Amino acid sequence: MVILIERDRAEAAYEQIAAQIRSAIADGRLAAGSVLPGVRGLASDLGVNFNTVARAYRVLEDQGFVRIRERSGVEVVTPARQAPPEARGAFERELWELLVRMRQAGIPPRDLRRVTDDCLRRLEG
Amino acid sequence: MESNLALVVALFVQLVVVGGLLLIQPFIVRRGLLFGVYVGEERWDGDEARSITRRWTVALAASMGLGLVLAALVVAIDGPVPLGVLVSVVTQIVASYGTYLWAHFRARRLAAPGAPAGAAALVADKPGSLLLPLASLAIAGVGGAIALAYAWMHYAALPAQVPTHFGVSGRPDAWSPRSFGSVMMLPVATLLMGLAMAVMAVLTARAKRAIRHPGSAASIDAQLRFRRAMANFLAGVGILTTTMLTLLSVYAVRTGLGLAPGLPGTFMALVAAMLVYAVGGSLYLAFRYGQGGARLERKAGSGVLTNGLADNSQWVLGVFYVNRDDPSIFVEKRFGLGYTINFGNPRAVALFVALLVVIAGIVISGLTTPQTHLNPFE
Repeated sequence: MVILIERDRAEAAYEQIAAQIRSAIADGRLAAGSVLPGVRGLASDLGVNFNTVARAYRVLEDQGFVRIRERSGVEVVTPARQAPPEARGAFERELWELLVRMRQAGIPPRDLRRVTDDCLRRLEG
Repeated sequence: MESNLALVVALFVQLVVVGGLLLIQPFIVRRGLLFGVYVGEERWDGDEARSITRRWTVALAASMGLGLVLAALVVAIDGPVPLGVLVSVVTQIVASYGTYLWAHFRARRLAAPGAPAGAAALVADKPGSLLLPLASLAIAGVGGAIALAYAWMHYAALPAQVPTHFGVSGRPDAWSPRSFGSVMMLPVATLLMGLAMAVMAVLTARAKRAIRHPGSAASIDAQLRFRRAMANFLAGVGILTTTMLTLLSVYAVRTGLGLAPGLPGTFMALVAAMLVYAVGGSLYLAFRYGQGGARLERKAGSGVLTNGLADNSQWVLGVFYVNRDDPSIFVEKRFGLGYTINFGNPRAVALFVALLVVIAGIVISGLTTPQTHLNPFE
């Protein structure tokens, strides 16, 4: 698969990289155990600074999508079996905030349900 | 007579390699690139782009022909052959740059606006087999060490005058007073030239990838194959260079010691092999792969170029890539066959300067070493 950076988008380059890798992991294009390109290689191919790629990988590691190893590179990790209760509560609040914003932006509850169902179907493969 | 023959051969090779590789540019260039400018895939195929290419081809071919005619005229009016060759070479160089710049500035009017997307394959980059590039590195080290050790061991036994230049027949035709510089210059050059070629081969194997999107799979595959072939080709040049120079270094000492009359026949065979390999290899790479795998990536369909290769703001005159954010050392050329360096990367600039220093050092020490053309043994 290919990762793309649109330079004229407002979203920072590291966010674009992280978001695309997250999507690829979520929909199964990147399986657990896949090894991602090294920081130098990916930065070189994309023509961006080392720090941009390193920051994207750090964000992904903080979010539990990848594991950064000293020698074997960046590896996609298997989703956790069970989230701790405090993390679960935080995610639920985030989801609620997002749904509220979408509702406020004019998306009716019927469409919100359809969107979330679609997303769940993608996650379930 | 011998040196005249060598000059004419050199002229021929230069015309075939440089002129020939320039004239086939339109057939090997990546879709979307026109004389160092990214014009976009649609305009690249348009009437204006074709007109620029056609006029450039005619102008370049005519000026190369003019160079040959001028050289023939110089020789015809009893001018020295070297002057004729010089006139032809200078004409070709001026014509090459002149016609390129003319076409480049024309192409700028068609330049694609905006910044292209950055794209990269999200799989770990496998630079292909590094076997040959690393082998060339090892051979450069061994060859250089042999040359240095042989000269060092026999330094004290060498006569007051040592051979420092050989004619086409392989016999020495110039001598210099024995000094550390005159004896060790060739072995040092052997080591440095071999290492320089090998390092270029290794870096080429790891050069930046520039892909199309969509259709990236075919594009990535084409580029990986081109990159591997180019790296192996350079490694081959490095191995031949080291072998040739090691032989030259050792036989220069042996000739000085009176153990050999000059260079062995193997040396001239190696020179011929090097010429055939360099010319044949360049043409093979150009026609088989095209620049960056352009001839293979046609399967990539309507994909557009991405990354620095498509970013006009990061190229000066379509020749110098300058991107301070990009950690790449070697990047694909926009015009010509092979790779160039990222002038925005201090490590790449340091490598380039080191290479220039090596070449300048060899040339300067060659020019400043006092030489005599009288055989001290006669």
